[in-house]
Amino acid sequence: MSISTSWRTAAITAGAIALAAGAAQAQDKEIVIGLQCDRTGPTQIVGTVLCPGYHDYINLVNSKGGVEGYKIKAIEIDHEYKVPPAMEAHERFKKDGAVLEGVYGTPQIAALTKKLEEDKILGTSPGFGTAAAADGKRYPYIFPIAASYWSQGAAAVDFAKRQLGGSLKGKKIAYIYFDNPAGKEPIAVIEDLAKIEGFEMRTFAVPSPGVEMAAQVLDITGRFKPDFVIAHLFGRAPSVSIKEFKGKGYPLSKVVSLVWGSSEADIQAAGGYGVAEGYHTMQFAGVGSDFQVIKDINAMYKAQGKSPPKEQETSVYYNRGLMIAALHVEAIRNAVKAKGGAKPTSEDVKNGMEALKDFTLGGMVPPITVTPEDHEGGGWVQVWTVKGGKLVKDGEWFQAYRDVIKKHLQAIN
Amino acid sequence: MWDEVQFGFALAVSGLSIGLMYSLIALGFVLVYKATDAINFAQGEFVMLAGFVAALALAVNGMPVIAAVLAAVAVMVLFSFALERVVLRPLLGRPVVAVIMATIGLGAILRGLPPITVGGGTRALSLPIGDSPIALGPASLPPIQVLGVVVTLLFLAVFTWFFLKSRMGVAMRAVADNQQVAMAMGINVERYFALAWAMAGTVSALGGVIWGSMLGVDVQLALVGLKVFPVVILGGLDSVVGAVVGGLIVGLVESLAAGYLDPYVGGGTKDFAPYVLMIITLMFKPYGIFGTHRIERV
Amino acid sequence: MLHRESGVFKTSYAADMALYPLPIARWTVAAVILLFAVVLPLTVHEYYLSIVNLVLIAIVGALGLNILVGYTGQISVGHAAFMSVGAYTAANLAVHLHLPFWVTLPAGGLMAALIGGIVGIPSLRIKGLYLAIATLAGQLIIEWIINHTPAISGGAQASIEVPRPVFMGRQIKTQGQLYYFLLFFAVLATLATLNLVRSRIGRAFVAIRDQDIAAEIIGINIFRYKLLSFAISSFYAGVCGVLYTYYFGIANYEAFQIGVSIDYLAMIIIGGLGSVLGTIFGAIFVTMLPIVLRLTMEPLGGLFFDAGELSSIIASTRLILFGCLIIFFLVVEPEGLNRLWRNIRNYFRVWPFSY
Repeated sequence: MSISTSWRTAAITAGAIALAAGAAQAQDKEIVIGLQCDRTGPTQIVGTVLCPGYHDYINLVNSKGGVEGYKIKAIEIDHEYKVPPAMEAHERFKKDGAVLEGVYGTPQIAALTKKLEEDKILGTSPGFGTAAAADGKRYPYIFPIAASYWSQGAAAVDFAKRQLGGSLKGKKIAYIYFDNPAGKEPIAVIEDLAKIEGFEMRTFAVPSPGVEMAAQVLDITGRFKPDFVIAHLFGRAPSVSIKEFKGKGYPLSKVVSLVWGSSEADIQAAGGYGVAEGYHTMQFAGVGSDFQVIKDINAMYKAQGKSPPKEQETSVYYNRGLMIAALHVEAIRNAVKAKGGAKPTSEDVKNGMEALKDFTLGGMVPPITVTPEDHEGGGWVQVWTVKGGKLVKDGEWFQAYRDVIKKHLQAIN
Repeated sequence: MWDEVQFGFALAVSGLSIGLMYSLIALGFVLVYKATDAINFAQGEFVMLAGFVAALALAVNGMPVIAAVLAAVAVMVLFSFALERVVLRPLLGRPVVAVIMATIGLGAILRGLPPITVGGGTRALSLPIGDSPIALGPASLPPIQVLGVVVTLLFLAVFTWFFLKSRMGVAMRAVADNQQVAMAMGINVERYFALAWAMAGTVSALGGVIWGSMLGVDVQLALVGLKVFPVVILGGLDSVVGAVVGGLIVGLVESLAAGYLDPYVGGGTKDFAPYVLMIITLMFKPYGIFGTHRIERV
Repeated sequence: MLHRESGVFKTSYAADMALYPLPIARWTVAAVILLFAVVLPLTVHEYYLSIVNLVLIAIVGALGLNILVGYTGQISVGHAAFMSVGAYTAANLAVHLHLPFWVTLPAGGLMAALIGGIVGIPSLRIKGLYLAIATLAGQLIIEWIINHTPAISGGAQASIEVPRPVFMGRQIKTQGQLYYFLLFFAVLATLATLNLVRSRIGRAFVAIRDQDIAAEIIGINIFRYKLLSFAISSFYAGVCGVLYTYYFGIANYEAFQIGVSIDYLAMIIIGGLGSVLGTIFGAIFVTMLPIVLRLTMEPLGGLFFDAGELSSIIASTRLILFGCLIIFFLVVEPEGLNRLWRNIRNYFRVWPFSY
């Protein structure tokens, strides 16, 4: 954005006082989706890339005639990662007739769980949120549709196990996390796995805002000296952690980060790929631009005479935006088809989401199958590692310890 | 056993050096308060602003680092002048809550500016000092922290000399003590206010460059400003030495708390400890270790 | 034309001490009550009602803060923490002991009052900036304690779902029902505050604000009254927190962080320190600012920017506007919206004459 943007903004604000708002009427052939985003808060490093990706996919779908003839209108509201604006955004979406909501942020989905159920609008929380929501019977209107924090934690342990030669008995694993509910979510599962697999686990909390963790990293590298580190940080913290571990001489090849500390932007903010060599990142969507859907989007931009958006450089979060949008559109498509072409209600879309089967978006996402019991879709993740200046795929899509996770789900619900 | 001692030493060194970097920010706060009685709740945002200026300047191809730093200093000084004129002058003599809220409001404005003017993404502020940690016995510090320590101690020396020995420093102390009498003595109070803000601006600029280099420059950088309060309460709101000593103590306490207490409490004592320390100081020595005792007259 | 006091002669002490002694004031209040109790909920769309609900909750909290800052002259940057205390107390009582709302509400308030009294103890020794920082510390410490004590916070998620309040056998769920629920408490809080500031306690508060050393000399026990002020203010905050919890259906500490404390301070400063009507104006203003801003900028902005950029621009503009307004009100109109209202009222008092 340039300086002229601020002038335009000023002009708008001045004019806004004089003008009455003319809200756009919901068109008959229009389906409304509500999207929450954090563009100015602590996780803006994600939101400023993920949400444009979402919009790009919606624009692509609309440019190709929409979903069975219906145009999709995605309303985005920035809640700065705070809860009250998110609640208010939900009211707004409801008023505008949204049939589903892309929620953003663990505290937000926790706060909205009850309201979404009351209002019968489904909310998605891919890769974050309450892991217990994977149980579709208990939380019929919450859809994780991507690996929950429990699945991610279990997968991280599984990855560590494979990296350490197939057995974790007697080994030490450090779990460094952002000190808030989202960060604490995987602890229960990892502790359980520690008992099952026989490794010693210790947790290290990094207080908000997560930019200072020298003491914690020192504790890990100097005292605990683990065989592997599982990192669950987000916002600015992942890049700081990479720098800290590197600075203390701990090999980044022994560090795996859960999904929100694993993007190009985090690596860049840490000082670049050279600094982060060996760092393992967990993904729930593909990385890079080598996918048909991205080629289609770029073709769309080219047809409009514009170059591909720079957000694609942070392909990790951009692709997640595409994935979320694609899943939403797919659910709507199922709903419209099930209704024989009539405009679906939010209840129809919920059924449509539960009918998702083996959805892969051209290979960019793992085969996701959602059922009324399992709203998570399988908990698939993939690890990409920093090698030689870029992110390189390190194995195929995998799930881990589904039985343990199921046990925890049953216990909590 | 030796491992434990090494760990403790490394913790202490890390804590002390971070503490000195806190002092760098606190110095800006203290200078302003010392000379003009104004309280700057937006010190963190000042540091952020300086960081942005420096990062933007460095992004211009071929710009030498010194020029970027000087650009940051210049902008901050001008900004401080403007602030003093436009916002703080009209608020003289108003209750404290007014000035605090005014700087909070200013902080909000500063936080909202970057995303709409230059884009909110994080920028790197790379200084030509390398990345490999410098070893100090069993502990090691990244070079940027060593630079921060050096800069802070330099400021400490310069300002202490300034306020104690130089003519202008003494004049500024006189202004802080009693404006009316200083004016009667022939001291140009306005000019000294401006000078105080200029000094604070310089300190903020360097703080912004160093912290921005350490953490990356974005809107979140402003959050370091919250650390100022325990430091200045401990050290005294108007003492330069206090800012440094307070910073050292806060940094050390944070580091040791995180290292030793975290395992028992499940984390987060780092944030908690300095504030507890602060409350204790407020109860027993409200003006801080080095602060001047204010006498209230009815 | 509207010279209100002419022709009104009171014949009893009760009439003189009444809250609204003038007939025109009584008519106005009756009309306002009619408007809010009957007209509004029946005519306005549910979404706008939800905004009004948020304002009603904010009024309760802001009134409490105004008692402390506007009437007693102390500073507190920790208001949101007391809301959090009230919220979690009520949530725990409701979920574990299944107590109804008319028990959990005062319980939350009392707990917050207790904590508030404790946090207020430093106010006896320190003033001004030091007190502000002490209350800031209080805010952060309380936040930390709640976050790290699973017994209070209900586990890793630190949010507790509460069942909706039940009144006469029916659950209060829709925006309309919640509106009446919240309106009741907002009116109660306003009446309580209006009477508090006219009472002996209120006068003691104002004396402490104006010159506390002199107040002590004439016999006001400032120790007691300062603590009382903190306690009362925190009681309001606790009740506000409980109302938030029942409104959202969930108690979550992340809704009660330092930014919220600053929002409430902004409310009372913009509205006018030391005035109940000003507090109400301030609460309305600050709560509705981001919403109004978004509603007006969206259709216009859609012409200039695409959806993505627009959202972040609106958020930044909100911050900037918020900061500018605070500074504007502090520099230009220190007595806030209340003074603006008074000016308008005084103008019409003698209209069409000019004095």
